[in-house]
Amino acid sequence: MKAGNVSAIVFANTSDERMGDLTAVRSSASLPFGARYRLIDFALSNLVNAGISNVGVITKENYRSLMDHIGSGIYWDLDRKNGGLHILPPFNIRNAIKYSGYVDALNGAKNYILRSKSDYIVICDANVVANIELEAALEAHIENSADITLLWHKGNVPSNYSDTMVLKLDKEQRINELSFCEDGSAEQNHEFGFYIINTDVLINMIDLAYQNGLSDLKLAFFVDKVKKFRIFGFEHKGYLSVIDNEKSYYNANMDLLKADTRAFLFNKERPILTKTRDDMPTRYGTHAVVSNCAIGDGCIIDGTVKNSILFRGVKVEKGAVVENSIIMQSGVISKGANLNFAILDKNVTVGEDKVLCGTVDSALMIGKGKKL
Amino acid sequence: MKRKKCVAMLLAGGQGSRLGVLTSKIAKPAVPYGGKYRIIDFPLSNCANSGIDTVGVLTQYKPLELNDYIASGKTWDLDRMNGGVHILPPYQGQKGGDWYKGTANAIYQNLAFIERYNPEYVLVLSGDHIYKMDYSKMLKAHIDSGAACTISVLEVSLEEATRFGIMNVNDDDSIYEFEEKPKQPKSNLASMGIYIFTFEKLRKYLIEDNDNPNSSNDFGKDVIPLMLSSGEKMMVYRFNDYWKDVGTVESLWDANLDLLNPKIDLNLSDSNWKIYSKSMGLPPQYLSPTSKVENSLITDGCEIDGKVDYSILFENVTVEEGASVEYSLVMPNTVVKKGAHVQYAIIAENCTVGENAEVGADPAVVGNDGWGITVVGDSLTVGAGAIIGANNMITKDVKEGEKI
Repeated sequence: MKAGNVSAIVFANTSDERMGDLTAVRSSASLPFGARYRLIDFALSNLVNAGISNVGVITKENYRSLMDHIGSGIYWDLDRKNGGLHILPPFNIRNAIKYSGYVDALNGAKNYILRSKSDYIVICDANVVANIELEAALEAHIENSADITLLWHKGNVPSNYSDTMVLKLDKEQRINELSFCEDGSAEQNHEFGFYIINTDVLINMIDLAYQNGLSDLKLAFFVDKVKKFRIFGFEHKGYLSVIDNEKSYYNANMDLLKADTRAFLFNKERPILTKTRDDMPTRYGTHAVVSNCAIGDGCIIDGTVKNSILFRGVKVEKGAVVENSIIMQSGVISKGANLNFAILDKNVTVGEDKVLCGTVDSALMIGKGKKL
Repeated sequence: MKRKKCVAMLLAGGQGSRLGVLTSKIAKPAVPYGGKYRIIDFPLSNCANSGIDTVGVLTQYKPLELNDYIASGKTWDLDRMNGGVHILPPYQGQKGGDWYKGTANAIYQNLAFIERYNPEYVLVLSGDHIYKMDYSKMLKAHIDSGAACTISVLEVSLEEATRFGIMNVNDDDSIYEFEEKPKQPKSNLASMGIYIFTFEKLRKYLIEDNDNPNSSNDFGKDVIPLMLSSGEKMMVYRFNDYWKDVGTVESLWDANLDLLNPKIDLNLSDSNWKIYSKSMGLPPQYLSPTSKVENSLITDGCEIDGKVDYSILFENVTVEEGASVEYSLVMPNTVVKKGAHVQYAIIAENCTVGENAEVGADPAVVGNDGWGITVVGDSLTVGAGAIIGANNMITKDVKEGEKI
């Protein structure tokens, strides 16, 4: 595919409201995930691995940590003369200081879309953990002469199921039924906010929705539109998790401890890229006992750590015990401390002999920078 | 072009023949170190951290890997509009060209590069050492003393002094004599191969040295003695922190394991003085329930199901269940299969150690006589059940069950 023929829009604040303390100081896109990543790394890597080099990131609030993380886009090879990475904060909007919905946001990004001169636009959310065969999806989109292609996955519907569309397809993968999910309990063919749309169709849809005062993207663009447009589906097989609350965040992190999840996510042909921190390798001391853990660089571990995710630069002192927990960057677990089912945000220090205990169903969340 | 105060010239052309198979395909500065670094990360990071943003890297021997690694210099924040890192291979002019004959000749051939920046001072570095050093402090000392040349030195024992270039100094630390590997050293100040020259002096003596047909065009052997005999003011700059030459298999192994020694201060992720390295975009390391890891450094992409003790594992290393790695360095992408034992060894990149193979031996078991580190060259396969004893340098695949 010709370079520049496809551009992308990433929504950075998708599940901010449902993530509790995890997004108190950041957008969901910049939420630390999986020992060395931020959620948006998956979206950006998926786009870049499909050869897309023009990416706009739409953000409406709490975007300082996001800007800090993605910078010029250099870590995804998106610091380009032509195209590259563009951060699109609120612009050109109706009487409000921030976007009121996706349609509003896309309307604000209309100039960016037109200037890209691309034939196709990929729209995606930054809260999806998956390694997607986007290049094949783009090829299928063109092959099908589709107006719109929805990527879909067969599995449990994300927790905010009523905002998720479920679909039915014919043998040619054309979607003939597209509606909001009414029952989140069963496995279904559902979309996950990842769409390929012809640019002219997208621009028309934005204009029409804007004129009609519609703010919900799915309602304005997709639901009940299967007769009006050629809407196709492309199945994503393999691992997928939509991070939309604390529980799905915890579970998706823990999924990394399974070999098949790692094999799906960390495909050598399609690497997940992130900002480098230039840490030393992780150092294991004489008293380290580590079992079933995914660990970033720059940690110093001399205690016991089991079934846990440790981000870069975490310190676990001798005699400390960490189990079933997620410790974000630069956390310190002092000697004698005991953690079970805990999520520690960045830079948390747990003092000597302190005990922190959550449950399987509800991990104990400790906010950024706390000293306990 | 805007004038630069100080330009660094990094001598990276050496073969490092004493590292044997480890440098059969790559130059010594490209040899992996410390789990995620290469030796050249040290001088380049030191330059960036010292505020020296213009570095010429003189390459000659097997430069492919090194060129690829340095690329635009982005890794060390040395991709600059004015200055930055420049790779300087030998070249041909109208009257033909030459390989770099010696360290001084390499700089002589690139005087035009230095002149473009018209610096007051030139820092000459080598790509063979592991150390963290603030060159700006040394530069300040050089400027304050008004010397033509300042040479960084380390205090070593008199016994070790016989292996180094030794500076004999007056009470004010000015040099009156330089002795290369003296049998009876008069001082214990060993040259670290780091020089700062006032550029006009450097140019004068490089031209003079080049005009001398009997010169071997080497800094230590020729240029420094020439400047001393011409009465130039030469000073030593004393350095007291960690510094190690990694010229031999044993010293490379030692310098790596020094990272595990709590008594040695070699923190490479100190936010005040980071050592940078190229990131490979790999997933986090994973230690399984069957793993047992102690006293080791492990980095991104590693999957550990076996035992690792007192070792350094580089990117993407796999240690399968029932395998063990002890007192060893295992370089990127190498797989240690089920039941294999690796000890007192360096396994280079992209190797496979087959099931139940044994590589290297413990000196406490086989005795110190003839003992040494065993090295397996890159991209080799050690067959299942093969046994490789101590002090071997493996340069080709080892067959299943073979004993060496």
